[in-house]
Amino acid sequence: MSVDRADGPAAAPRATAPAPASAAEDESGSLGRNVRRKEDRRLVTGHGRFVTDLELPRMRHVAFLRSPYGHARITGVDATAARDAGHRVFTGRDFAHVVLRAQSALPSYIETDQPILAHEKVCFSGEPVAAVVAKDRYRAEDGLELVAVDYEALPPTVCAWQEPREPVHPEAPDNVLLQRTFDAGSVTDAFAAADLVVERELVTNRHAGNPMECRAGVALWDAADGKLTFWNGTQVPHIVRNMIAELMGLSEGKVRVVAPDVGGGFGVKAVLYPEDVALCLMAREMPGIPLKWVEDRAEHLLAAAHARDHRYLIKAGFAADGRLLALEADVTCNVGAYSVYPWTAGIEPLMAGGLLSGPYKLDNYRCTVRGVATNTAPAGPYRGVARPASVFAMETMFDDAAARLGIDAIEIRRRNVITPEDIPYKMPSRLVDDSGHYGECLDKALDALDHPAFRAEQQRRREAGENPIGIGVALYNELTGLGRAASAGPRMPFRTGHDACTVRVNPDGRVTVISGVTSQGQGLETTMAQIVADAIGVRYDDVDVRIGDTDEALWGFGAFSSRQAVIGGGAAHNTAVAVKEKLVKLAAELIEAAEADVRVVDGEVYVVGDPKAQISVAEVARVAYLESNRLPDGIDPGLDATTFFDPIRGAFAAGAQAAAVEVDRTTGELRILKYVCVEDAGRAMHPQIVDGQIAGSVAQGLGGALFEHLVYDDAGNLSTGTLLDYLMPTSAEVPDMVIGHVSHPAANPLGVRGVGEGGTLGPNAVLAGALRDALGIEVNALPISPASVWKELHP
Amino acid sequence: MKCAPFDYVRAGSVEEVVKVLGEADGDGKILAGGQSLVPVLALRMARPSVLVDVNRIPGLARIRPVDGAVEVGALTRHSRLVEQTHHPLLAEAARWIGHTAIRSRGTTGGSIAHADPSAELPVVAAGVDATVTIAGPSGERTVAAEELFLGALLTSLDDGDMIVRVRFPLPTRWGFAEFARRHGDFALVTAVVAEIAGSLRITLGGVAAVPQRARAAEQIVADGGSAKDAARATADEIDPTADLHGSAPFRRAIAGEMVRRALAQVGIE
Ligand SMILES: Cc1cc2nc3c(=O)[nH]c(=O)nc-3n(C[C@H](O)[C@H](O)[C@H](O)COP(=O)(O)OP(=O)(O)OC[C@H]3O[C@@H](n4cnc5c(N)ncnc54)[C@H](O)[C@@H]3O)c2cc1C
Repeated sequence: MSVDRADGPAAAPRATAPAPASAAEDESGSLGRNVRRKEDRRLVTGHGRFVTDLELPRMRHVAFLRSPYGHARITGVDATAARDAGHRVFTGRDFAHVVLRAQSALPSYIETDQPILAHEKVCFSGEPVAAVVAKDRYRAEDGLELVAVDYEALPPTVCAWQEPREPVHPEAPDNVLLQRTFDAGSVTDAFAAADLVVERELVTNRHAGNPMECRAGVALWDAADGKLTFWNGTQVPHIVRNMIAELMGLSEGKVRVVAPDVGGGFGVKAVLYPEDVALCLMAREMPGIPLKWVEDRAEHLLAAAHARDHRYLIKAGFAADGRLLALEADVTCNVGAYSVYPWTAGIEPLMAGGLLSGPYKLDNYRCTVRGVATNTAPAGPYRGVARPASVFAMETMFDDAAARLGIDAIEIRRRNVITPEDIPYKMPSRLVDDSGHYGECLDKALDALDHPAFRAEQQRRREAGENPIGIGVALYNELTGLGRAASAGPRMPFRTGHDACTVRVNPDGRVTVISGVTSQGQGLETTMAQIVADAIGVRYDDVDVRIGDTDEALWGFGAFSSRQAVIGGGAAHNTAVAVKEKLVKLAAELIEAAEADVRVVDGEVYVVGDPKAQISVAEVARVAYLESNRLPDGIDPGLDATTFFDPIRGAFAAGAQAAAVEVDRTTGELRILKYVCVEDAGRAMHPQIVDGQIAGSVAQGLGGALFEHLVYDDAGNLSTGTLLDYLMPTSAEVPDMVIGHVSHPAANPLGVRGVGEGGTLGPNAVLAGALRDALGIEVNALPISPASVWKELHP
Repeated sequence: MKCAPFDYVRAGSVEEVVKVLGEADGDGKILAGGQSLVPVLALRMARPSVLVDVNRIPGLARIRPVDGAVEVGALTRHSRLVEQTHHPLLAEAARWIGHTAIRSRGTTGGSIAHADPSAELPVVAAGVDATVTIAGPSGERTVAAEELFLGALLTSLDDGDMIVRVRFPLPTRWGFAEFARRHGDFALVTAVVAEIAGSLRITLGGVAAVPQRARAAEQIVADGGSAKDAARATADEIDPTADLHGSAPFRRAIAGEMVRRALAQVGIE
């Protein structure tokens, strides 16, 4: 795969993305430039520090015994043989007093308990039942074979839209853990007035997150201090600290969570899992002995959060001119055996219902969403949460309607899309769109695709009887950087709108940033350093960033909902501005200039109009820490600050994707000839990182559209238990792509919009649309495979 | 996913391998490239008591043209097959095996012994009427590839046997076509067309437990029929099973299409 920028090489963003007045924008700034990533020296030279790399004295290794049944009562657990062989064994009874109970104040939500190690019954194949501690992982797995568990099989339910055979939880006899109806306007009347009603049943495919590094943890209980340290490959260390402290009855100050380098997360590492809690509980039972568990790929596919197993019964009414008049949908999301902690079973259904209408104007909307428990692994957050599916459903309506009304598929979208004039636009789910730049993204995408050339080629092939090509497009709005008013998640007992940041100018004038953001490869160290360097006026190379340790950073909710550039970045900027205020005040006194005339550039302090530096930041800092004799009256020692930032609302990021594909009629193979993605990242702080996020998420979306599919058999066993059967896209399958930008700064301190997830939203819809355009066939189930296309061609 | 305990012997000669396997009494396994065996060990689906590492045995990685054929030593890595020019069909087939890392470790002997129904080398072996030389407790013997493959992952090798080399006759004309979900995946269908001793053989991988000759299609071609007819006959004469990647009718159609494409390479349209 290679990436082209639609608007030429980087550097352009400086010109095209004017920074708001609050951010530094002088010649020496690092924002908007592809500065060398701080983390890369370590990551690309093999010096990354992942949880797996952690070696501690006396360390022991943990393996989990997992249920071979999708649904069964546990009638006996006998660990005698394993203990006789010298293993330490923990079973469900040992931790029966602790449960994961994800909370939400939504009226219809039914709270259920997830055990740490199952003891009464198992609810999905792969659920942990016991844990063995041994000298190494090999021996721990030997020990698993010596633990005998008796099961009494119960009938499993794996499909969320079939009658449950036996409830997963007695509290929810119909397996429905949550249901909500979105209702706006007058849907019935609008359908009655429609010239065309299209109706479809669409099923999307179940995914695994599959970061390159699977889950991992090392837990150590220090009995003398009564303190737990948990090195955890998590996206959310502060949430983990908060939850572990609460679950274990510890004070938060006695729990330290460290997320060192983390090799990808994509949402599945934003969940607190029973294995995490088990590790910490076991560590408390074994003081002074670090316990390590590194999930292997088979465990990941079995038991880490799944996603996107949805069915949409969807119906849209259109006027003859293509205007969307009404939308009605019934959305069922398979949430698996348990409500993921702490996000709940609402995470996917509520997102699906809240954003189904996407970037389109719509007054009449009725949508019932439900989260249904089944005997499958719990479903949770995964890059793009629900929207790769909901965008597919929505765009399918337009492709369908366009074909039936004889309107061009692109034109029908233009007639319905929210425009900048409509902003702020209140969506029927009451979310407020602050973007409206979809049309511009679409124009740019079609330009980059060279749409007319492909249309001509399409015609030529039709006439020549060659393999057909088709063009597909999708528009989407990605809700990013959610503040308290739009906060992620379904009315949980916490609001994820803010992050904190500490900025210290050290006595030598260099800067240390201790940020609440976390990184799973997105380059947050770099971004935070750029923001702080520019806000203070020091060189990028003079800023160090420390992240991922709850004993250092005051607070951060972590990585999810494309929030960190906006929120963590905003906190870094505001904090740096606060530090700069003091720096300027102190410097002004020291050089006897007016504060308003002081400028700080590249670590030197200037007075307006004088090209000669008056004093260095290093010297000012030295005074602040070491030479109180030089401190002016009224200025305290030190040069640092800690502040919080909450953008209150969110920032919508507009996006458009388009592709031309070729289909082999004889084999059903689909070849992507060209793929284009244009997004509004607001101001691109580091263009290469932004492009990397977009390219990666499009690749992940293409994987979901064409390959990835977790399949359970009727007995509740996962049929796709290894990467031999669960197909991930490789570099050979991901096409070269063109990435373009429109840059409309958002209303936050840096003018940025999130870019972490949007790319995943388009591919399902784009490829389904392209297939329809090429062959006239309808895609009703994902993924699109040669076999599924072939079947449509040979009914 | 860690293997169960086993003993490890690094063998210095074929005789030693046969001896150690004999002593293990059916509980020993040869370790060659490890690309099929190690995953199976990790899943604890195989639990040999002893692994006999054959990688250091000298002289087993030679590729030698002999009259009308090419002899390939059991320890020849797939990547070497790709590079060699003596047997173009073998080179082409080997290119389709997995990825670079797998090709630089995996061996001819291992692939033939593992007998995966979707693997490339067994189809080529059956397709060109290769013969396999096996060392066993009572010395060396040679069997036809087609007699070696008994079922999926099942061969007529005895517990104490080791493949030492495979003799691949050179086809006068050949075609190779494969269909897989992704680049480097095991084939859904592989079609090998090879003209050996004047007759055109059509052999398929991935459609049955062992490489399967498409004899009806061969007959059609021998009678001067078209590739299209041969493709249709292929689809009719095989009996593939459905799996996650496609239904039986889909696999039939793909098999026919691969046969058509392989035939096109030998000029039969
Ligand atoms: C990700 C991945 C993708 C792959 N894709 C493909 C593919 O597309 N096509 C394909 O054909 N293969 C593929 N393979 C398998 C690969 O080609 C293996 O190398 C090959 O099948 C086995 O060869 P080996 O030398 O690695 O054997 P090993 O794994 O060492 O052994 C395999 C079996 O053969 C036995 N054995 C080995 N050598 C001998 C011998 N000389 N005599 C008797 N018994 C012996 C072993 O005891 C064992 O039972 C893939 C493997 C991986 C991991």
